[in-house]
Amino acid sequence: MFYVALRILLYDKIRSFITLLGVVFAVGLIFAQLGIFLGLMETSSVIIDHTPGDIWVTSKNSKNFDFSQPFPEYLYHHVRSEDGVQWAEKLIVTWALIKQKEGGTEQIEIVGYNPDSGVGGPWEMKAGDIRNVKNGNFAIVDESAMRRLGNIRVGEYRDILFRRLQIVGISRGAKSFTTAPLVFTSYKLAQGLVGWIGPDNTVFVVAKAAPGYSVATVVERLKKRLKGVDVYTKEAFSMKTRLYWAVETGVGFSFMLTILISFFVGMLIVGQTIYNSTVEHIKEFGTLKALGASNFEIYKIIFSQALINALAGYLLSLIITILSVKIYESTDMVMVVKGWVNLLVLGLTLLMCVSAAFVSIRKIKKIDPAILFRG
Amino acid sequence: MDKPIVTRNLCKIYQEGRVEVTAVSSADLTLGEGEVVGLFGPSGSGKTTLLSILGCILRPTSGSLMLYGKEVSDMSEADLPFIRKKYISFIFQGFNLFPALTVHENVMLVLKLKGVKGEVAERRATELLTEVGLEERIDFLPRDLSGGQKQRVAVARALAADAPVILADEPTGNLDFSNGRKVMELLKNLAAERKRCVVVATHDNRIEDIFDRILFMEDGKIVREKRRSP
Ligand SMILES: Nc1ncnc2c1ncn2[C@@H]1O[C@H](COP(=O)(O)OP(=O)(O)O)[C@@H](O)[C@H]1O
Ligand SMILES: [Mg+2]
Repeated sequence: MFYVALRILLYDKIRSFITLLGVVFAVGLIFAQLGIFLGLMETSSVIIDHTPGDIWVTSKNSKNFDFSQPFPEYLYHHVRSEDGVQWAEKLIVTWALIKQKEGGTEQIEIVGYNPDSGVGGPWEMKAGDIRNVKNGNFAIVDESAMRRLGNIRVGEYRDILFRRLQIVGISRGAKSFTTAPLVFTSYKLAQGLVGWIGPDNTVFVVAKAAPGYSVATVVERLKKRLKGVDVYTKEAFSMKTRLYWAVETGVGFSFMLTILISFFVGMLIVGQTIYNSTVEHIKEFGTLKALGASNFEIYKIIFSQALINALAGYLLSLIITILSVKIYESTDMVMVVKGWVNLLVLGLTLLMCVSAAFVSIRKIKKIDPAILFRG
Repeated sequence: MDKPIVTRNLCKIYQEGRVEVTAVSSADLTLGEGEVVGLFGPSGSGKTTLLSILGCILRPTSGSLMLYGKEVSDMSEADLPFIRKKYISFIFQGFNLFPALTVHENVMLVLKLKGVKGEVAERRATELLTEVGLEERIDFLPRDLSGGQKQRVAVARALAADAPVILADEPTGNLDFSNGRKVMELLKNLAAERKRCVVVATHDNRIEDIFDRILFMEDGKIVREKRRSP
C-alpha cells in the first residue's frame, strides 16, 4: 500500500511538489525556531555550564546569573570550611560601561574571577592566558564582543568606568545572552571597579563537593548553615537561569507561538492535499472496498501518503537546516541542531502529517456505493 | 452443492427525504456456477441497485441474500469486507482504474488485496492481461489506453482473484458497438472457462445474444426471464 501511495504522489507531481514545499517550509521553520531558541537557552547559562564545581551560592531570591545581588564575602569562608566541600571560589558578575574608541559607551557584563584557579574565567582562549589578568588593571574580552566593541587587540587599552584597563587576552565562546559583551577581569579588580559591589562583598560563591560526598547532601548542609543566601546545584542554577530567560521574559512564548503556527500551517497544507487526493480517488478507493478491501487497508494508502510527505519533507528540511547553521553562526547566533532536537522535530513532523490525514478517514468510511457506478 | 447466489423476496426502498422510492421489490433469484446472466431493463428499473445488493455493498431493506448457502443480509458492516473479498468481483461502466498505476499494477493491487503474494501475483497479472489481449500494454497507464482496452483491464482485474461471482454494471456503456461486443465476448468466455457466476446489468439490447439467460426488470421487479435453448 506504501507503493500505491508513492505512485499516487508521483503521478500528480506538481501538487506533490507544492505540498512537499509546504512541509519543508513548516518543518524548516520549526527547526530554526527550536534551534535558535535552544541556542539562546544554552547561551544564557554558558558561564555556569563551563565553570567547574557543582554548587552555586547566590544572593537570596536571585533569579538568574546576570542580575544577582552582592552578599557578604565572609560567607565564602563558611562555605570553604563546611564538611564535604573540596574547594570554593568567589565570583563577581556585574554590569559596567566601556568607552568606545570613537566615543560613546557600550554596556558590558563584567566577570571577576580568581586568576589563580581560573574558576568562572574563560574556558577557551584565542590569545593570551587566563592568568594574565592577575594583579593589575587587566581585562580579557571575548571575540564575540568585537561586533559591539570594534576590533580589539591584545595590548591595547580601554576605559571601563573610570579605569584604564589593558587587554591581555581574547577568549572564545563566552557569548553573552544579554548581548552586552562579556569582559573578564580579576576578582579583586571587579570588586573595586564597580563601586556598588562594595569592598567586602561577592556576587557568587562556587564550590566543589569533596570526593565521597553527594552534591545534594552538601547543598542541604550549606542551606542550613548559611543565612541570607540561596544554594543551588550547578544544574539547578543553570536551569533557573534558562527558565528565567525563556519563561519570565516571554522570549520562549514567542518562539513557541511561531512553532505552533508553523505546525498548523504544515498540517493544513498536508491535510488539504491528502483530502483533495482522497476525493479525487474516491471511486478507485470505493472500488477496492467493493472488491473486499477493508477501510483499514485504504487508510494504509492514505496514511502512507502522509508518511511519505512527512519523511521527505523532514529530510529536506534537516539538510537545509544543517547547511544553514553555518549562516546562523556567521551572524553570531547559536542554533542548536542535535540528536534529540532532530528526533523531536521528526516526531512533530509525523504528528503534523499523520493527524492531517485523519480528515480523510470519514470520507473513506462513508463512500456512497452509488458513485462507483457512475460512468 | 449450494448455489452462488440465492435471493428471496429481496427489497430495497430508498428514503429520499419524505419520499420513498422502491428500487427493487421482491426479487427472487437463483444463479448457478458458470452461468452468465444478463440483467436487462430500462434506466431506473433497479438494475444497479440489485447488483449493489448482490455485491454486498448495499444492504437490502428486507429479504434474504445467500452466497453459497450463507445468509449475508444480516451480517455486520465489519464482516462484509471479508465476504466481498471471498466471493465478489466488480466491473464498472467507468472502469475505475487507478490513474497513477500501470495496467499491471492495477491488476496486482487487487491480487494482493485478495491475498495473492509477490511473484505469484506478478505472474498471474501478466497471464490475465495476456488473456485479455493486453500483453503489449502491461506497463501503460490507463490514460494511454482506449475505452475498450481499459474495460479489458477491468475484466482481467475482475478475474484476477478467485472470486466466484462477477458483477458488471453497464460494462459496455462507454464503449462503441464493436469494442463493447469484444469485451463482452471476452468476459463471457473467460468466465465460463472458470465456472464463474456472472451478472451483467445493461440496457444495451445489442448484446442480448451473448447471454444464456436474461432477466428483465421493470420498476424494481423481475418481470420476465428468457433462456436460450441449448
Ligand atoms: N442512492 C439512491 N438514493 C435514492 N434513490 C435512488 C438511489 N439510487 C437509485 N435510486 C432510485 O432507484 C431507482 C432504481 O435506480 P437504479 O438501480 O440506478 O436503476 P438502473 O440501474 O436500472 O438505472 C431509480 O428510481 C433511482 O432514482
Ligand atoms: Mg444503473
